[in-house]
Parts: sequence; structure tokens; C-alpha cells
Amino acid sequence: MDAAATTTRDAFEPTEYHQAKSSQGEIIEIKDFNLWYGQAQALHDVNMTIEKGMVTALIGPSGCGKSTLLRCLNRMNDLIDNLKIKGRMTMDGMDIYAPGVDVIGLRKRMGMVFQKPNPFPKSIFENVVYPLRVDGVRDRRELEEACRRSLEAAALWDEVKERLEDNALGLSGGQQQRLCIARAIASDPDVLLMDEPCSALDPIATSRIEELIDELRGTYTIIIVTHNMQQAARISQNTAFMYLGRLIEYGQTEVMFTSPFQRRTQDYVTGRFG
Amino acid sequence: MLNESLTGPEAGGTARRRRPKRTSRAVLIADRIADATITVGGLMVIFAVAGIMVFLVEVVVPLFTGGSVGTHTQYRLPPAEGAVLYTAVDEYNTVAVELGANGRLAAHHLRTGAMVANVDAGLGGADITAFAATLAGEEVMFGLADGSVRFGSVGIPIQVLAANGMPAGLRRLDERDATDGEAVYTPIAGGQVRKVALSFKSEEPQRVSDRPIRLLDYRLGGTVERPTRAFVTIDDAGAVRLSLAESRVNLLTRKASTRVSTSALPPLPDGLRPAFVLLTDKADQVYVAAEDGTILRYDTRDFDDPVLAERIDVLPGDLRLTAFRFLIGEQQIVVGASDGSADVYFRIQNHNAASTDGYSLVLAHPLERQPAPIVKVAPSKRSKMFATADADGNIWVRHATSEQTLLRLDAGEGAAGLVMSPRDNGLYAVDSRRQADFWSISVPHPETTLGTLFGKVWYEGYPAPSYTWQSSSGTDSFEEKFSLVPLIFGTIKATVYSLLFAVPIALLAAIYTSEFVQPRVRAVVKPMMEMMASLPSVVLGFIAALVLAPFVETWLAAVFAAFLTFPLSLLAAAYGWQFLPLTVAGRLSGVPKFLTMAAVVVLAGVLAVASAPWLEDLFFGGDVRAWANGDVGSGAPLVFFLAMPAAYILSALTYDRLAGRWLPALVPSGSGGAAKAKSLLRWLVVLGGAACASAALAAGMTWSGFEARGGMVDTYVQRNTLVVGFAMGFAVIPLIYTLAEDALNAVPEHLRAASLACGATPWQTAVRIILPAAVSGVFAAVMVGMGRAVGETMIVVMAAGNTPLMDWNVFNGLRALSANIAVELPEAVRDGTLYRVLFLAALTLFIMTFVINTAAEVVRQRFRKRAVQL
Ligand SMILES: Nc1ncnc2c1ncn2[C@@H]1O[C@H](COP(=O)(O)OP(=O)(O)OP(=O)(O)O)[C@@H](O)[C@H]1O
Ligand SMILES: [Mg+2]
Repeated sequence: MDAAATTTRDAFEPTEYHQAKSSQGEIIEIKDFNLWYGQAQALHDVNMTIEKGMVTALIGPSGCGKSTLLRCLNRMNDLIDNLKIKGRMTMDGMDIYAPGVDVIGLRKRMGMVFQKPNPFPKSIFENVVYPLRVDGVRDRRELEEACRRSLEAAALWDEVKERLEDNALGLSGGQQQRLCIARAIASDPDVLLMDEPCSALDPIATSRIEELIDELRGTYTIIIVTHNMQQAARISQNTAFMYLGRLIEYGQTEVMFTSPFQRRTQDYVTGRFG
Repeated sequence: MLNESLTGPEAGGTARRRRPKRTSRAVLIADRIADATITVGGLMVIFAVAGIMVFLVEVVVPLFTGGSVGTHTQYRLPPAEGAVLYTAVDEYNTVAVELGANGRLAAHHLRTGAMVANVDAGLGGADITAFAATLAGEEVMFGLADGSVRFGSVGIPIQVLAANGMPAGLRRLDERDATDGEAVYTPIAGGQVRKVALSFKSEEPQRVSDRPIRLLDYRLGGTVERPTRAFVTIDDAGAVRLSLAESRVNLLTRKASTRVSTSALPPLPDGLRPAFVLLTDKADQVYVAAEDGTILRYDTRDFDDPVLAERIDVLPGDLRLTAFRFLIGEQQIVVGASDGSADVYFRIQNHNAASTDGYSLVLAHPLERQPAPIVKVAPSKRSKMFATADADGNIWVRHATSEQTLLRLDAGEGAAGLVMSPRDNGLYAVDSRRQADFWSISVPHPETTLGTLFGKVWYEGYPAPSYTWQSSSGTDSFEEKFSLVPLIFGTIKATVYSLLFAVPIALLAAIYTSEFVQPRVRAVVKPMMEMMASLPSVVLGFIAALVLAPFVETWLAAVFAAFLTFPLSLLAAAYGWQFLPLTVAGRLSGVPKFLTMAAVVVLAGVLAVASAPWLEDLFFGGDVRAWANGDVGSGAPLVFFLAMPAAYILSALTYDRLAGRWLPALVPSGSGGAAKAKSLLRWLVVLGGAACASAALAAGMTWSGFEARGGMVDTYVQRNTLVVGFAMGFAVIPLIYTLAEDALNAVPEHLRAASLACGATPWQTAVRIILPAAVSGVFAAVMVGMGRAVGETMIVVMAAGNTPLMDWNVFNGLRALSANIAVELPEAVRDGTLYRVLFLAALTLFIMTFVINTAAEVVRQRFRKRAVQL
């Protein structure tokens, strides 16, 4: 049974080939990727590779397709009707869009933090441990441990440790967002996809999240969408600039922010438009 | 490029005309008109609903209002010479007739008291010592001092004449009536005249004893051609005799001859002074009552060998028994006493009674006590109503079955004569000072109170108080039984069983379309399900009664089997599907998957049919219907069947807990092949565990002597609740499905995305996130479905058998409130009791659906509030 499973590659478990590939430092590779919402094309020929263990920032003006690209990585776009894609996207050398890919397994390896906080209408505790629950973890101690660790990492522990059984909807918007971050890292994913995680946070919480991202670097590969140039400059190693569905420029963050090749990149990072 | 587009209109330089910001008149007027129309329309809807409610209430209220008095006239009659034996009133309340012990028959005008006629009855001056009349009133009997009895009849014949049939020279009695000294003439509608006259006949005396007759009762039986007249006499010496008189007309001489045969009842106990004697109309029971409250009941079914069946004392201490009379039907006896009590007794079958015939006389209806000793009881000639007069002149009109006091009248002094009009619309009383009172009364619904409609009622002949609905029967003395409880029960039973079938299917279907299929499929499936709702329920009922019912009857074992094979095959197929390589599964996920599902459903059906005979032999003793009846097999399979769902849930919880603690390796986690094998293993173990647990429970309960049959499963009839459940299920499934689907769909997309992004499967997402978030909407959907099932009519009329029973047996029929209204309203006389009771049934139904729908709406409102929060 297991042998059959490996040969048909239905599980997203890295093989030797994959490991070899990732030792070169690449975890995700996007090739000639196009996406249409119905008739409207939202992504045009996107080509990029994401380096393992690095923080990659996606920047660009509103509506340029950053969230779309991010959602393609863990196939959250599957929920959308009338969606068409062309091109390849691989993780550890394995095609994310191949027929028969274990989408659930893929998503377990990619935690995601959405642009808008979306906690479940459950207790804070249940929210954080949800990824473990769906994995069949029942041991109370393990759950509590994971809950604490994730909440601490998300800089929320001190605020909610007294009321873990309260409904998460009673938290403030910023607290809810940090809760979602805690939830995303509770199951120890390989890749963390963050869609403007700090847009609802105050400066202190923001800097705490930035610290967190810094700590996680190396263990996790992080892709973060942000509108905050300083933030992108502070925390990311690589930066991709998108505009109108196209990847305009992609490279090391220092280069992108100091001497980009493209005029538009320069205009954008210096705040002349966007 | 972008900078250019940012330039504003001013910068563009073109001086655009500023649009006026006023709202135009036309818009305002249209808005006003729309506002007014909608307000009027809305108010009209509210008024219409309120109007229906008011109308229903208005029709129903008279059921509970007791009685009312129309007119009351009072006059003084000329003094009577000697005692008055008998008083009667005609059907139209025109005259009152009195028969005196002196042998004179007098009639006077009821509304004025004016004497109409006073004739000699032709008894030849016999010394009358006892008197009896049949309940209908026409047939009378005299007991004489010489120990003989004499039959007679007092009639008030009524004729309708043409207008010119009215004789000339009449004496006016009042503005309406006139008399010629023999009869009263009343002009009636259509230019005709009603003539109310008097007639009296008597026969030759028949000797039954050689001592004076003291007490007498008389009943007429047999046929009109060959009447048998039964009477019971008690003479001076206390000898009780039951006699039968048979009349024969000699065909040659045309002379009637009467032959009397007499049988002596066992002698009365020493010291017992009989005060009353009663005889039933089949002459099978004789009751003798003494003043001290002793009642002797003789069983005279064997005419030649009567026996004393029972002796009871109905009065404590030194109370005196002052009245003892039958009500119509001659089963119920009103016992009046010196403390003012007037209670109703009847005979019920009672095997451990202290009587010789297995019956006993019981106090069935204790009624409200009057302030003074009861002196007279006047039963109604058409219902279980009667009037009681006490020594202080209070006259109360009561009803035996409903135990209520309908009217309280005051006559000033204790009545010597008391009679209710034949149509229950008047009450006539004469007291010892010869003051007469006539009340015209209206008591349209004496038998209904909240207690009789919704509580247990002890009807005559029933062993105990019960909830009974029986609105018609062949005989006249039959009492209609209006308990709404069996009907409410029927409605609840039909609702419960149909929801048991419909709710799981509808909810699973809703989860499936909202969470598992692509929006394109959903866009096809949902309208199709909604179209199912437009299937007329009469068609469903028709199919249920004529196709489904016979089918289920023939394939009962297969239907049972289907409850097992369908879920098991589908689940097994689903687990099997997991093992398809993902590439293959992905490629087959569209139409082929659908076809496979359809094939599995067909297979489950085939399996059910195929396994039916085998199942029947193994568990149901070879015949499911005989098994249901309790004739063969044991109740164990039923316990197994019923315990299975709960056992499955328990087993699953136990497995997860135990495996989670001791064998974490067996907990399916992740999504690899191993996890699939583990989840299949888990399913098999849980299923096996559940089966073992329920089997053990079934065996244990059977071993301990518990019989599961007789409650939910019992004797099979063709039109049964199972069939109704299926048919009504089909009526409510689309409704519950659509509303539940909407509720599930209304759960914000971001919750679904959050859960899926955490690596949850669609099923986990549905069960852990979507369903809890939509629970109140889903609940409301179920409630609306329940409301529909409660009000559903045609299906229950056609498929439920309409038997107003109160049991939970799935294999038995039921009668729902709605079906009852549909079936009986065409037969109900307008404004009659049945008519009003049916309206009460409608009101009850209205309230039930109203409560259910309101509950659904309240929950939905809460749901909306919570949805806003999400
Ligand atoms: N579900 C959808 N259906 C149709 N069009 C969509 C959908 N989601 C996004 N789009 C379109 O795709 C384009 C890219 O949207 P996307 O959300 O990826 O932008 P974004 O870069 O994340 O912007 P922002 O910074 O404002 O979040 C936009 O033009 C948007 O209108
Ligand atoms: Mg976005």
C-alpha cells in the first residue's frame, strides 16, 4: 500500500530528489504562472523561486495580485469558481497543481495568515489547537503545550492566558490577527504564508510579530505580503515587486531597496506612487 | 501614467456643470406611494391573520360558555286535587300536561298558565299507589292498591294542518296561540297551523301481586309489532317481582291480548325499606335503592333465575338518599342525597369486583353539591344532561360526562314536578304551592369543557377515564366523544416519525451541496430539490397509500434491511474510495464519482432485497409481521436496531479516547496511505464494537425478560406511520434541505478558508466549523419542516388510516388534527358541537404551527445577530 502511495506520489512527503533540490536552497518554484478570474487575468507569466528558510516579501500596489499569488501556493484558490490557471508551481520539486495532489497534506505544510483576521467562533484555546485537532491529536497536555508555545510566539500569551476558554470573537481586531498567526504556526508548518499580518496591529504588536518572523527565519520559509516598505526592508531577505499582475522585479531586499533595475520599483519603494 | 490619472476635474480645466443635489418630485412621490402601498398591504396581511384567529376563537368560544336562560315565566296553577303523578311538556313548549292521582289529565298553556283542557283519563276511580313512565315519557304504568298494574300512554300528538284547517271560534291564549278547549293551535311558517292535542289510552289491569304495589318501574322493548314490556314491582310486603308482558293481536278478532309472566327476585334483606326501583331497557338489571343509601343490583339476564349481583352503600353516615334516576341510555344513575349531592354512577366491567357477574357499580362523576337536599331529578331525553331541584328551590342544570353545572335557576320553593323539554330547550317546574315556572333555556354544548376536550373523560361502559375521539355511531343514545388529545398525539406521532426519516437525509444533503460540490453542481441540484417541494402533497399521499403502502407491506423485511444496507454500503464505498491512488481519484472526481455513488445506492437496494428473506429467517422468526405482532421471535433485533446509533457514537468516542491514550499509533492522522488504512481500521473496529455492544444489550434485555415489542413496534396494519413517515419525509425534505443549505452557505467564506488552510478536510470543516456556526439556522430549518409536517393534511388523510389511537407503534395508523378536520368537517352540522370542536382542532393546529414557527423565527433572529458578528 505504502509503496504504491510513494510511486504515485500522492503524499507530499519529500523524497531524496526533493531533498537534493532543496539543499540548493529552493523550496518553491513558480514558472510561467498565469491566472484568470473568469475573463480577467490576474497573474501574468510569474516566474520566481522562493529560497528555503528565507523571508520573502511581496510588495506592490493594491490589486496587483499579491494575495492571489499567495493563495495559489496552498491552493486556497480551489474554492473559487471559474478560476483558470496555466503554468507550474512546485514545492520541493513536486507539482502543486498536478492531478491527484494531496491538497490537505499540502496545506498542512503551509500555514496561512489571512489579510483579514478570521478566528473561528470558538474558544481561544480551540482556535489555536484547531490544526492539531484536525490531525487527530487528543492528548490534552500536548494541546496545551502547543497552545502556549504558539500564543507566546505570536505575542498574545500574556493578554489571553487568563481567558483561554473565552470566545475568540471577543478579542480586539489586532488580538484576533495575532491569534490567527498563533493558529498558523501551531502545527509547525514548513512554509508560512502571511498576507499583511500586521495591517491591524499597533506598533508594539507589529514589532513583536517582526521579531517573531526573525526568530522563525531559518526554520520556516516565510512569504509575507506587506504594504509597509520599512517592514519589508527590515525583515525580508528577498523582495518581489508586483504590478498589475506581473512580477516586475525580484531580488535581494538590499538591492531592491537601494538600486533596483526597474524605474517602477524605485518609484514604488520610495513612495512616489502606490 | 498613474500620476496623470490622479489629476482631478479642476485640474482638467473643463468647467463641469454642477448637478443639482435636490431630490426630484417624481422620486419623492413614487417613494410616498410605495411607502403607503407597502404599509397598507402589510397591515392587511396582519389583519387577515388576526381575523382568521378571531373567527376561529369566535366559533370555538360557545363550547365553553355553558347555558343561558331566554325567557322566564311564572304563574300560579289552580290547586290540584290529590298528588300529581306525572308532568310532561310537548316538543314545541306549547302545553304542559299533568296526570293526577285522581285520574284527571289536565293541560295548560305553558307560557301563560291558562287551562286548555281537563279531562278524565278513564281509569275508573282506581286507587293508584305507584306510577312509572318510560324515559321517552309516552308510556306510563300505574300500580294499584289491589296488587294489579295497568299500562297506559299519555301522548301529546302534534299535527300540522293547512291554514284552513283551523276551527272557528277559538279562544286566544296569547298573541300566538289559541285553543278550542281540546287542543292548542299555533300558526307557523308557511301559512300552516300546528295543532297540539292530548291523548290518553289505557289497558286492562294485570294482576301481579295480592298486595298493594308500592314501587314500580317500566321499560318498553322489543319491536313495534311485538312489543315486550318489562316492569318491576315492589309490593307492600317488600316482594320484588320482574314481569314481562307480551301483547298479541288476534288476527281474527283483532283483539289484543296480553300475557304477563312474572319472576320473583331474591327477597330483600331484612330491614331494608326500598325507596326507589329502576329497570334497564333490556330488563337485564334491576336496581333497588333504600333511603339509607343502600343500592341492590340484581342481575336479571336470566329471567327465570335472577340473582343479587351486588350490594353497595353509596352514602356515608345518616345521609338520606332522596333521588335515584336513570339518564338516557339507562346506564348512568343519578343519586341525589339529603346533603345536596347529586352524583352519577354506572356499571363497569371489573373482574375483581365483589359482585357475582364481574361488574361493579362505581361513582364515575361526582358533581357539584347543591345547597339543600335534592328532591327531584329530571333527565334530558336526548343527552346526558339533567336538572336537579333541591328543597330550597334551586334548580341546577348539569351534564353528567362533563361534570359541569350549566345553569343555576331559582324557583323559590322545592319542586314537586320537574321536567326538561324534549328538545332540551326548556325547563318546567311546579312547586308544592302550585307555583309554576317555565324557563326557555339554551344549552348548545353541554358536553364540552376544557376538561373533556383535553383531559381524560370517563365515558359510560369504559373501564376507566380515557382520551377518546369518536364522533359518530349508529345508535341514538350514543354519546359523542370529543377528546382532542388522540388527534394531537397523532399529529405529533406523524411529525416525529417523518422528521426521524427526513432530518438526517435533508441535513446530509444540505451539507453535501454546500460544502462538497462545486458551485456549478450546486446551482443545478438546489433548484431541483426545491422543485421537489412543489410536488402536491395529495400526489404524495396518493402514491403513499396506493403504491408505497402495499410495497412496504410485501417488502417489510427489505425495508428493515435497507436501514442497514444503505448507510453501510455508502460508508464502505467511501472508505474504499480513499484507497484509490490520488491521481486516479482526481481524474474520477466528477461524473464517474457520481455514477459510482448511484451504483452503490442501487447496490444497497439490491442487497436489502436479497438479504431480506435471510434476515427475516434469522431474526424475525420467518415473518416480520408475525414478529411485530409478538407471535414469533424475540424483541432482541429491535433493541439491537434501536441501540445501534447510540452504540456507534459511544463506540467511536471510546475508540478515540482509548487509542488516543494507549495506542496513539492507531489514531488516523495526516493524510498518507497509512492514515487511510488506520481510518478504515478505526471504522471497522468502531462498527464491530457498536454491533457487539448493541447485541449484548439486546441479549441482556431479552434474557432479563424485557419485551421491546409492544411499544414502538406492534401489530402491523397496511396504512401505517412508517408509510406516512416516508411520504411526509418527502414533503419536508426539500424544505429542510433548502433552509439548512442557506444557513450553511451563509457562514462566511473566510471561516471555511481558515479551516481549510489549517489542513482540515472539507468534512472536518463542515462538522467542526460550518455546522456549529450555522446551528441555529439549521435548527430553524428543522423547526420549519416540523411546522410543515404538523400542518400537513393530504398525506395523513390518505396514508395514515385515520384511526384515533394513542400508541407509538410505527406499524399502526394515526389520526392527525388536520386530517380529522378534513375528514369530518363535511359531515358536521353547522354550529353543532362537532363543528365547533373541529374549529377548536383548527385553532389548536394554528397555535401549534404558530408556536413552532415563532420558535424557529426567534432562533433565526438570534442566528442573524450572531452571523453579523462573524
Ligand atoms: N475572487 C475573485 N474573483 C474575481 N477577481 C478577483 C478575486 N480575487 C481577486 N480578484 C482580482 O484580482 C486582482 C488581484 O487581487 P489581489 O487580491 O490578489 O490583490 P492584492 O495585491 O492582494 O491587493 P491588496 O494589496 O489590496 O490586498 C484584483 O484586480 C482583484 O479585483
Ligand atoms: Mg491582498
